[in-house]
Amino acid sequence: MDDYQTCPKCKTTKYRNPAMVLMVNACGHALCESCVELLFAKGSGACPECKCPLRRNNFRVQLFEDPAVDKEVDIRKRILKEFNKRQEDFPTLREYNDYLEEVETIIFNLVFDIDPTNTNKMIDNYKKENKDITQKNRNRQSQEEMELEELLEAEKAQQSEKANLYVNAELEEKKQKHKAREKLIDELMFSDADAKSIVASHVQATAALAKEQPKVAAQPSSVVVKSSKFSSGVQIGLRGQHTNAFLPIPKQEDLPLYRYTAPVFDYDGPPPPPIEKLGKLNYFANIRAANITERAGGYTEAMSCCRALQEALGGLFYSPQLTHKTAVLATNSSTQDTDDMETT
Amino acid sequence: MLELKRALDAKGHCLLEMPSGTGKTTTLLSLIVAYMKAHPLDLTKLVYCSRTVPEIEKVMEELRKLMNYYEKEMGMEQNILGLALSSRKNLCIHPSVSKEREGKVVDGRCYSLTASFVRARHAADDATPICEFYEGFDAHGKEFPLPPGVYNLDDLKEYGQMKRWCPYFLARHTITHANIVVYSYHYLLDPKIAEVVSKEISKTSVVVFDEAHNIDNVCIDSMSVKITKRLLDKCSNSITILETTISNMKENDSKRLEKEYKRLVEGLRDATIARETDMALVNPVLPSEILEEAVPGTIRTAEHFVAFLKRVVEYIKTRLRVQHVVQESPAGFLRDIHTKVCIDRKPLRFTAERLASLIRTLEISDLTDFSPLVTVSHFATLVSTYTKGFTIIIEPFEDRAPTVSNPILYFSCLDSSIAIKPVFNRFQTVVITSGTLSPLDMYPKILDFHPVIMTSFTMTLARPCILPMIVSKGNDQVAMSSRYETREDTAVIRNYGNLLVEVAAAVPDGIVCFFTSYLYLETIVSSWYDQGIIDQLQRHKLLFIETQDAAETSLALINYIKACDNGRGAVLLSVARGKVSEGIDFDHHLGRAVLMFGIPYVYTQSRILRARLEYLRDQFQIRENDFLTFDAMRHAAQCLGRCMRGKTDYGIMVLADKRFSRADKRSKLPKWIQEHLKDTNCNLSTEECVQICKRWLRQMAQPFSREDQLGISLLTLEQLQSEEMQKKIQQRAQGVSF
Repeated sequence: MDDYQTCPKCKTTKYRNPAMVLMVNACGHALCESCVELLFAKGSGACPECKCPLRRNNFRVQLFEDPAVDKEVDIRKRILKEFNKRQEDFPTLREYNDYLEEVETIIFNLVFDIDPTNTNKMIDNYKKENKDITQKNRNRQSQEEMELEELLEAEKAQQSEKANLYVNAELEEKKQKHKAREKLIDELMFSDADAKSIVASHVQATAALAKEQPKVAAQPSSVVVKSSKFSSGVQIGLRGQHTNAFLPIPKQEDLPLYRYTAPVFDYDGPPPPPIEKLGKLNYFANIRAANITERAGGYTEAMSCCRALQEALGGLFYSPQLTHKTAVLATNSSTQDTDDMETT
Repeated sequence: MLELKRALDAKGHCLLEMPSGTGKTTTLLSLIVAYMKAHPLDLTKLVYCSRTVPEIEKVMEELRKLMNYYEKEMGMEQNILGLALSSRKNLCIHPSVSKEREGKVVDGRCYSLTASFVRARHAADDATPICEFYEGFDAHGKEFPLPPGVYNLDDLKEYGQMKRWCPYFLARHTITHANIVVYSYHYLLDPKIAEVVSKEISKTSVVVFDEAHNIDNVCIDSMSVKITKRLLDKCSNSITILETTISNMKENDSKRLEKEYKRLVEGLRDATIARETDMALVNPVLPSEILEEAVPGTIRTAEHFVAFLKRVVEYIKTRLRVQHVVQESPAGFLRDIHTKVCIDRKPLRFTAERLASLIRTLEISDLTDFSPLVTVSHFATLVSTYTKGFTIIIEPFEDRAPTVSNPILYFSCLDSSIAIKPVFNRFQTVVITSGTLSPLDMYPKILDFHPVIMTSFTMTLARPCILPMIVSKGNDQVAMSSRYETREDTAVIRNYGNLLVEVAAAVPDGIVCFFTSYLYLETIVSSWYDQGIIDQLQRHKLLFIETQDAAETSLALINYIKACDNGRGAVLLSVARGKVSEGIDFDHHLGRAVLMFGIPYVYTQSRILRARLEYLRDQFQIRENDFLTFDAMRHAAQCLGRCMRGKTDYGIMVLADKRFSRADKRSKLPKWIQEHLKDTNCNLSTEECVQICKRWLRQMAQPFSREDQLGISLLTLEQLQSEEMQKKIQQRAQGVSF
């Protein structure tokens, strides 16, 4: 890997010397470890490429393939220590974004040495102006970081919980198996029953146990998944809660089909005229008509009229001596009578 | 049909398993078209998703037949527009672009001829090449909609040639008002494409996923990203190109960059409504998750963004420099990237969008070189958007070659329901159907939806035309199994060989064999060669082998078909999950017998699979073994279904593994196979199996005419309307739905 990495000074490659380690300093130019020791024996010196004065203590192992990125990250970390305002510190998102861009420009200028005097002035100004906020924010985590922390913690908790659960389940299973075997041996030794039947009953018992076992393992963990938010406020992490409520479709293979049967009323009286016909039969003549406000709610005079008629006629044929059947017969015959009466 | 109608009435989703070759496509099409005609307001559009281009063509053929029938019966032109859509590669008629072989190249070249800035440049300077077909479409095609009818890909091309319009953009444009659209899964499931193509399909559509037994894998693939070392190196190159282009542009034409910058400051998404040709790069995140917010200040200017990209790429490079396998969650990754290179989550989320905007502004017309960078930007956006259901796995080398360093970063989606969720939410009815969906209750779980109808249909057959058997032991009574412990055992391999030789002697024409993996196939064939089984086999039939090379395989297939056609007979050795097992039909004499050697479990040591199993266990309470068995059995069933493509067809299905006879495996076979799998055929030896084959083949070889089927599996109109039949149908409909 990275066999082509070369020290610019001594031209050693990683391929020839696998132990070679490249180092970078503030200027972003790489040097191999041995060259650093040679050139900076006194503790300080100039970079062989850009002649900028460097200290030996500031050399670090090069992390990235491109040393310029190392330099940039270095500067970025330094700058962000000072420029650590959060979105909460700004009244609008727009201003926050402007601030972010300004920071980015400063870093960019420092990395490429554009206009160093002005940039440094800007940094100094900022430092002076925002001393308090910087100090305060240093001890405060941003909302985003907190969210991530939370997520990580929840993950960890869940994992350990799971691990425990499975270990316990496994132990339990082992214990039970052991117990069952001991029991079988005991029974075979001391019981007078037929050996075959003992073995058979044992097999059944273990099978029943095996059926129960998976259910224990499959129980959902009690870890509550916290729902957190994106920076936009879009909810995430809801899925976990949702799945707990997941209802598998029940297998209905064995159930008989549901059939609808009309309910039978024991009315015990002559049937009242149907609600649609009440108007025609002139029943409304004797009751108060519904006014506009009542109609708005869906009420009509037919309803109360129908109800009253039902109550009046229901139970007229009831007699405690008669059996149910005869009562029905009686209603049937009487319906015809009442019908006749009404039509005539 | 009854079940489908119920689902349409209920405006809910349904899951239907219908045996292959029983007119699944026709049934779906005719009912849905009839429903559309009857309730034009409730159901406006049918979106039919299939897997491959030949399958799309088949659907179009069925649709054409249906439309012709309508015309014949009703005697007038039907006002229904159906069309197929495929990629530019299949639809381009530009004389030079259409010659390109690779889809990506065609897309890139099309973009370089049709992007709005290219056309603007052309307006100023005639030397800039553009596509005359697109110009033709743009000038006239939008006012004149496609006349009603059925258009497959070739029809579209022909129509395009005639009018001199670009068929691809014509089809894309027509989707909005077509009644029936047939295209590939990806146009709906892959958020990168769905956003562009399927955005304007209304809610009152019905979506059909045909051959959907692998739908969960398609969903997962569409959300996963794989990053290799080479890809990152290419990224670095693209970044340098971006840098130089930006500095050039700053000198020559700084106005455009300024304009973009201002737009981003204002937080306008796309002030100029993006034209259809410009949508070359898109956001990989699902529509519901996209932020309606301004791009953060850190990546607002072009230079800052390029530096930002560089940091991201360099960071991933350092991550790839690991010596051992790393697995972490997106949250862990985000924290690490924050501490190492000071990148926050928010700018990371905007990477894909910002890159698209930058490339548009820079007017880079050759997009093919940027695909690695686009992949990385998708990764960045996805990893910062989704914290659940994903995992990052970094492997420094492949398991098979631990000495060769080949670091790969897998950003893998574990939850197949993430990608398909918007589809379920958006459309009133989604129909998932295939010949092999058993066990049905697994799909609602892993795709996380509530179907209103979930049914497995069986076939009504005039004769028992499939013969499933489970062969568990050889003539020497040694159990046959592809279990890991016994797969090297010569006795097992010899028994498998003898089974094949004896079946080949008894069965006429073509035989297809499926093995569990390419590796297993190779070891078995080599030891068969040593044992002289290959020689014995070649006395009866010619032998063909599927390999991982697609060209080689298709050559083998052509010759296999030739050998079957001229009566010589042939044996094809192939692999479950391979190309042959998915989508190639062996009807009639091409496949008289299918042998399944072993249970096709997936490679269980794969870390991605492990992670997914763990996720399924934690989130959906699906046990690892259940899922593995489910996955293995659906592939086995898919292989078995290859030989059965219609009611007049017949075929033997041999499951050669002891473990198939266990209840948990057997019960997971589709109902239409289980129905014919008798208990007496579940624990056979080679000899018994051959005996049963011979008897059954004699029975099947009797002449079989239309009259035999009449009244049982083929009905005349009178028979259909007869009371007895109606009752039977009613009964079955009720029996089946539960």
